[in-house]
Amino acid sequence: MTALTGRIALVTGGAGGIGRSICGALAARGATVVVADLDGEATAAAAAAIDIEHPGRAHPLVLDVTDPASRTAAIGFGADLGGVDVLVNCAGVLRDARIGRLEPALFRRLLEINLLGPLALTRLVAPGMAARGGGAVVNLASRAWLGTFGSTAYSTAKGGLVGATRSLALELGPAGITVNAVAPGFVETPMTDGLPPDIRGRTLAAIPVGRGGRPDDVAGAVAYLAEAPYVTGQVLVVCGGRSIGDPYAA
Amino acid sequence: MTTSTLRPVHVVGGGELGPLVERALETVDAVAPSACVVAPVPRRAPLADLTDARLADEVAGSLEAVLAAVRGELTHLGSGAQRGSGAHRGSGGRLVFVLPAEPLMAVGGGTAPSAVTNGVLSMARTLSIELARDAVTVNVLAVAAEESSGGTDPTASLTAQLAALLGPGGERITGQEIYLTAGSDLGRLRP
Ligand SMILES: NC(=O)c1ccc[n+]([C@@H]2O[C@H](COP(=O)([O-])OP(=O)(O)OC[C@H]3O[C@@H](n4cnc5c(N)ncnc54)[C@H](O)[C@@H]3O)[C@@H](O)[C@H]2O)c1
Repeated sequence: MTALTGRIALVTGGAGGIGRSICGALAARGATVVVADLDGEATAAAAAAIDIEHPGRAHPLVLDVTDPASRTAAIGFGADLGGVDVLVNCAGVLRDARIGRLEPALFRRLLEINLLGPLALTRLVAPGMAARGGGAVVNLASRAWLGTFGSTAYSTAKGGLVGATRSLALELGPAGITVNAVAPGFVETPMTDGLPPDIRGRTLAAIPVGRGGRPDDVAGAVAYLAEAPYVTGQVLVVCGGRSIGDPYAA
Repeated sequence: MTTSTLRPVHVVGGGELGPLVERALETVDAVAPSACVVAPVPRRAPLADLTDARLADEVAGSLEAVLAAVRGELTHLGSGAQRGSGAHRGSGGRLVFVLPAEPLMAVGGGTAPSAVTNGVLSMARTLSIELARDAVTVNVLAVAAEESSGGTDPTASLTAQLAALLGPGGERITGQEIYLTAGSDLGRLRP
């Protein structure tokens, strides 16, 4: 038995590199997981893979975090399972440019997926959590919240998510709802697959533990926060030490 | 956009702290092309009241206004970023973001203002890295309101910090976050 046994978790971006690993980690701790992602095929595959290891504990759901009707439907899906106890806002996109070349439409799009979607889902899920005596929200921020070259839109969105996390923790704490953020550094997933080799090489060389992050590194941190009732408003940076050293050392 | 100092400093962004910044700049002599971005920050509201429309207007809209304000200043600041030329080296402007300290630190009912102020904080952090190649400094001043800082008027503190950042010697100060709170934030984790 863990604190997550029998709990319902909704993981957005659940079919992605990190999201899939989070779904697996939560299911392994006894939660029933709604694997919610825009990519229907990948969602079905991710849920099926978890189901093999943890029968009956994974439900695929197509979700667009930028679509109000889709968000409402996802919370309804969770309610039918008994109500969402853990919300992991993991859906995200990374496409960006230096400020002078940044298209306003791209800036807006990144805000909608990486910031507004998580906030709207938190608003939808909080009343049910409060009614059941509490719950946990874990937001996937990024080390880019500390600033990253060529990353105006992404870092703004993730910084906004960190700020909201802290204020939400104050507001929702009395209802027994914890709100935390995990800020990964470089993690090997489809999101980082497309990085130019020179940037990838320089990034890896600046990580003190000597390797890129694995999705499971992040999933462990998320699972911890999902079952830590006395930890709230925090940002857990999972970056192999890159944020402590010089991220541009190499 | 206004110019209010001995050497013109652009005050842009349209946020509520604009008049305070204008006042604080009255006696500041900037030695380089300078701009102060005063972010428009939404009011506090319980999470339950943050409708999708409010999130879009107040959170995304405010951050878009800040982005537009900064982009509008890049040429003035001497940044080659606007032209997209990696090779260009600018002549060294000074960019200062002025934010209200309370939502930046976190406050109950502060989801929207905290999202905006912290989004701007991270934007500033990124710009301090990006614009360093143009010798443009980027810093953040977080100002607590008079009522939340023991009734002390923040104008003189703001003048002092702006003079340091925009004046002689400021060219080596970048990426810094300075809290003008009269100690009202002591003992708290900063974002
Ligand atoms: N990989 C890294 O190095 C890294 C570093 C820091 C932070 N992060 C964050 O971690 C999270 C997961 O990243 P990842 O590396 O697994 O990326 P990924 O691209 O592998 O997965 C992201 C998932 O989000 C889904 N998604 C995109 N838009 C969506 C939408 N509108 N609605 C629902 N789902 C949507 C995608 O379909 C995809 O499955 C993101 O929030 C990302 O910003 C990743």
